[in-house]
Amino acid sequence: MVELSGTTPKCNHSGLNAHCFTLGSIEIICAAGELLVVHIRTDVHLARVDLHDASSGLPGTSGQTPQLFHSQAVTGTTTTALPGNTPLYNTPLTPMTPITPATPASESSGIVPQLQNIVSTVNLGCKLDLKTIALRARNAEYNPKRFAAVIMRIREPRTTALIFSSGKMVCTGAKSEEQSRLAARKYARVVQKLGFPAKFLDFKIQNMVGSCDVKFPIRLEGLVLTHQQFSSYEPELFPGLIYRMIKPRIVLLIFVSGKVVLTGAKVRAEIYEAFENIYPILKGFRKTT
Amino acid sequence: MSRVALKCPNCGSSNVVEDDLYAQSQSVCVDCGSVVSEGFLANDPVGEVYYISSIAHNSSLPAGLQRVRALCRVLRVNSEIEKLSQTYFEQAYNHKSFINVSLTKKEALAGSCVLISCRMHDWPVTVGTIAYLIDTDSGAVGAVYQETLNTLNICIPTLRFTLDENPFKLAKELTKRALALVELAADSWIVTGRRPVPIMIAATYLSWQSLQPTKLRLKMTLDKFCQMTKVDKNRPAMKRVTEIKEMLYIQQCDAKNKKTMRTKTAELKTSSKTGSSVLETERANNGACDEPNWGKRLLFAPPCVVNPKKRKRAPSNQINVTGDEEISDSEIDSYIRTHQEVREIAMTQKLLCQESDNL
Repeated sequence: MVELSGTTPKCNHSGLNAHCFTLGSIEIICAAGELLVVHIRTDVHLARVDLHDASSGLPGTSGQTPQLFHSQAVTGTTTTALPGNTPLYNTPLTPMTPITPATPASESSGIVPQLQNIVSTVNLGCKLDLKTIALRARNAEYNPKRFAAVIMRIREPRTTALIFSSGKMVCTGAKSEEQSRLAARKYARVVQKLGFPAKFLDFKIQNMVGSCDVKFPIRLEGLVLTHQQFSSYEPELFPGLIYRMIKPRIVLLIFVSGKVVLTGAKVRAEIYEAFENIYPILKGFRKTT
Repeated sequence: MSRVALKCPNCGSSNVVEDDLYAQSQSVCVDCGSVVSEGFLANDPVGEVYYISSIAHNSSLPAGLQRVRALCRVLRVNSEIEKLSQTYFEQAYNHKSFINVSLTKKEALAGSCVLISCRMHDWPVTVGTIAYLIDTDSGAVGAVYQETLNTLNICIPTLRFTLDENPFKLAKELTKRALALVELAADSWIVTGRRPVPIMIAATYLSWQSLQPTKLRLKMTLDKFCQMTKVDKNRPAMKRVTEIKEMLYIQQCDAKNKKTMRTKTAELKTSSKTGSSVLETERANNGACDEPNWGKRLLFAPPCVVNPKKRKRAPSNQINVTGDEEISDSEIDSYIRTHQEVREIAMTQKLLCQESDNL
């Protein structure tokens, strides 16, 4: 391993039979907790070397710009490669702290709400003739007296779409954002094949519904007393408690069996955040007898 | 209700008022309660006789307020509640969400205002009663009730479960026992999430039987009991009766077991080996709720957990998609009809149209 320590005047390199040095930039990419060997490739152009002279230069280079390969082990760093990382040539190598701190077990519930339904909308960008669509598509139903849209269904992902004559479409029933997008694209493709110049504009997730089970019974009467401003519990009308959380803006349906339904989210993270907020509150109403 | 210049034929009192609550207006004596006259027959200038329908179906604000007052009189609430319900009605009536709604909704609004004021003063009135009085579905009343709460930004205190609004007229002892039974039911998860009226009926029926457990009383079914007391039949009440009986039985068994457990634990404590096993069983009873039917581990659990409805769930397709996959033409073609199919369907539709025209 060659050690590059400090700069040496050109005159001391007379042994190399070269006339200048040029150093290129280096980039250090480390993985978390790994001991890596980094190859620093530098182009060295030594003075008094005629690059066009094939006979000069280091043995084995055959007339090309002589290259110096330097290996240096990088120890003690636990940084993760961040996108758009600038070369660390000018900065000293310092140990960095881990980016994702470990969540203490007592804070997280350990329960992850499962997504049950995603509602999304997309604009097909052209006017549609619903009668033609209903006639020529196998999976479509259209009853203008009952509802002014074609109801279309596909098998995979198992979803339902409402297609309006303005070209706007609502897609429901998917279990994830990606499935909803794929399903919407399939509906758009069906409409396209039926002869309409359908596009796929402004796809947007409008609502996400998730559910989970805390696995202990909940005293809804107690919860409505302590969280009156957010809760609405009318057993005559509905058996569950309707909890309207402010941050994030999610509506939760809490049932005596411990099952919780979360709805009104635009992104998945809101559902998870809402559940993490409600779980400690529900634990407070846990009764084992 | 406005005063009418009539004398009551029953008691001779001149304190007769017009009651506009029902479909036809009635003149009622305030002192004895007898109906003096029903409906009005009027002569128009031409001489034809026609029947004036009650002004209760008028959609104006004064008519609505009259409706609110009529409801309050029927429920026999105090003057504070009556004033508050009128205030709420005036506020809600002029709000944009209620200004151009149907007559039924306006009636439901009147009922909701009365309900909200009763709740504010802890006066026990159920949604069902209001719905019955204004002759609508309790769901519709409930929806208007929630909307009114949101519109007027009211936060009502929770209704405490009392037996004052019991459909039966109860003696003190019976009330006490029924109340105790309801409290026990509430502790053992029978009340939470359930409608209050069937629980009240069940509690009253069982306490009536238990106060004098004669053969006659024990043999009487819930239906006959309701018939006897002139209360409407209620199917969920029978289920509540079964649940309360089960709960009492479990309590009894548990009490017996606890007595034997106490003697057993006293014996066990003398031997140090089994001390840890007692702790383990306790932990097992209280802690582990991770299995699918954790309700069966607890002594009392909500009935929906102990007897879950078995739903056939379609296998959840955990397909990992990116949303940008290629969509195969063959799959899309499977959703499009062939030309022949389209022709046949068009022909069938034509024939059906012709047939319906002929008919």
